[in-house]
Amino acid sequence: MPQTDYDLIIIGAGPAGSTTARFAATAGLKVLMVDKRQELGAPIQCSGAISGHGLASAGIDADPEFIHEAIYGFAIYDEHGNRKVHDYRQLKADEYGPQAGKKPLGYVVDRRRFDRYLMTQAERAGVDVWLKTEGLGYRPQEDGTCTVSLRRYNEAIHLRTRVIVGADGLQSQVGKWAGLQTHIKITELAGCLQFIVDGVETEGLLEIVTGHEWAPGGYAWVFPKGHGYAEIGLGVIATMTDKPARWHLDKFIKRSFFRDRFANCRILEVQGGGVPLAAPLRTQYADNMILVGDAARHVNPITGGGLHTAISGGKIAADFLVGHLGDGLPVQGGALEAYQLAWLAELGDKMWKLYGIKTDIFHNMNIGERDRLLYATMSDYFSPTSEFKKI
Amino acid sequence: MSKLQPVLFNIGWNACINCGACVAICPQEAGFVSPFDTIAVDRPCDIACLLCEQICPVETITHVPVERLNGSAVAVDR
Ligand SMILES: Cc1cc2nc3c(=O)[nH]c(=O)nc-3n(C[C@H](O)[C@H](O)[C@H](O)COP(=O)(O)OP(=O)(O)OC[C@H]3O[C@@H](n4cnc5c(N)ncnc54)[C@H](O)[C@@H]3O)c2cc1C
Ligand code: SF4
Repeated sequence: MPQTDYDLIIIGAGPAGSTTARFAATAGLKVLMVDKRQELGAPIQCSGAISGHGLASAGIDADPEFIHEAIYGFAIYDEHGNRKVHDYRQLKADEYGPQAGKKPLGYVVDRRRFDRYLMTQAERAGVDVWLKTEGLGYRPQEDGTCTVSLRRYNEAIHLRTRVIVGADGLQSQVGKWAGLQTHIKITELAGCLQFIVDGVETEGLLEIVTGHEWAPGGYAWVFPKGHGYAEIGLGVIATMTDKPARWHLDKFIKRSFFRDRFANCRILEVQGGGVPLAAPLRTQYADNMILVGDAARHVNPITGGGLHTAISGGKIAADFLVGHLGDGLPVQGGALEAYQLAWLAELGDKMWKLYGIKTDIFHNMNIGERDRLLYATMSDYFSPTSEFKKI
Repeated sequence: MSKLQPVLFNIGWNACINCGACVAICPQEAGFVSPFDTIAVDRPCDIACLLCEQICPVETITHVPVERLNGSAVAVDR
């Protein structure tokens, strides 16, 4: 193999990038990870809910540094406010609870602190991390390596690496650099808005409100945020409404069955983002390049959750690259398809199945039936007997 | 994709929450972004599908049609 500056250059230091970086460096690869931001995770574009086994899947301790609040279950509402509760403090009382010897089911994390924590763990494993460094492009070379163009505090930098990992999130450009089909349909990207609020009580549950009336094409949520704060948000599909998410959130707060509960809420933070309720990318690799996390659309198409899949996917990517580069195998001419196959086997096939379920619901043009289907599916998804517990 | 006249986007920065949804939905080739992680506002978009305006959670993207003159874009209708 020709000389390179790094074995891997990772574009984007979100959960997917940092996890890939940490496992790769731990196994001995020379890794550079760059992020264009000055503070990781900010501005926040995420509600931060992740399960305990999601964290465990990538060897991440539930560190108080990034945890807002522990979660013990779910409450799913239909459009009228009837609810189905799965409280694991009651369902599996010997395992889950706040008492010593028991554990939470999951957590709501602070993405600023979570992303910084994961970056720190990567750095401690030997990864070089450069903030304020934007990835601008890459070019495969005839000797089997590639060059990556970066800009760091206005300085142009060109480095040689064996593989570039696109972990640059939903707005991913890395896939586009390689000419991959990354375009997402307007019917499958939910426009989301959320407020962190004071003055709204929560009960250690993630609350999910279904119903076209409140969030056409998506759902609304109320999450505990620690310190007595809560988060109220929703996502909508633009083709199912002629109003923006902000209008729907205002309506949800003022006119839904929660209006009394929200009557004294005071807004502390405003956040938003796009959530793909879509299938994973069909092609997640190219010469010298693989994609991971949101960039590969590794997002649960039913819940919109992408943290668990980002860190699990990061570990899969790192394990693959360590083996592949360790064996001195080529990284051009379709050789990296093996990564995608490994990912499909471990995680992706399940996500395609979820996508099928989600598509069936939203292809139903009868709003009443669709509402019933979504409520039933969500209620089932979070139940202890769900076959999808692992993502 | 639509064959509309090219447009120049304008972002009401006062309402923008930097959520990146407009970039995520944009079918343009790589690099059609502003330094603030929104869609580009310094050059015309020749696709003009306007999906970014539809997805924006705070409805803060607008556009003006532009014509091409000697390769450079000029705003019309201002
Ligand atoms: C409103 C909202 C709520 C959500 N709530 C949840 C939730 O409760 N639970 C859950 O599991 N998921 C949730 N998600 C999804 C979750 O946020 C994402 O799936 C997750 O952030 C994906 O992680 P990632 O590492 O792939 O990408 P990101 O976290 O997006 O990280 C990408 C990183 O790449 C950097 N970057 C991008 N381009 C470049 C470049 N050219 N050069 C250098 N750096 C670059 C960015 O600065 C960023 O730091 C939510 C999303 C939204 C929008
Ligand atoms: S979608 Fe709207 S709010 Fe979000 S970054 Fe683009 S212009 Fe700003």
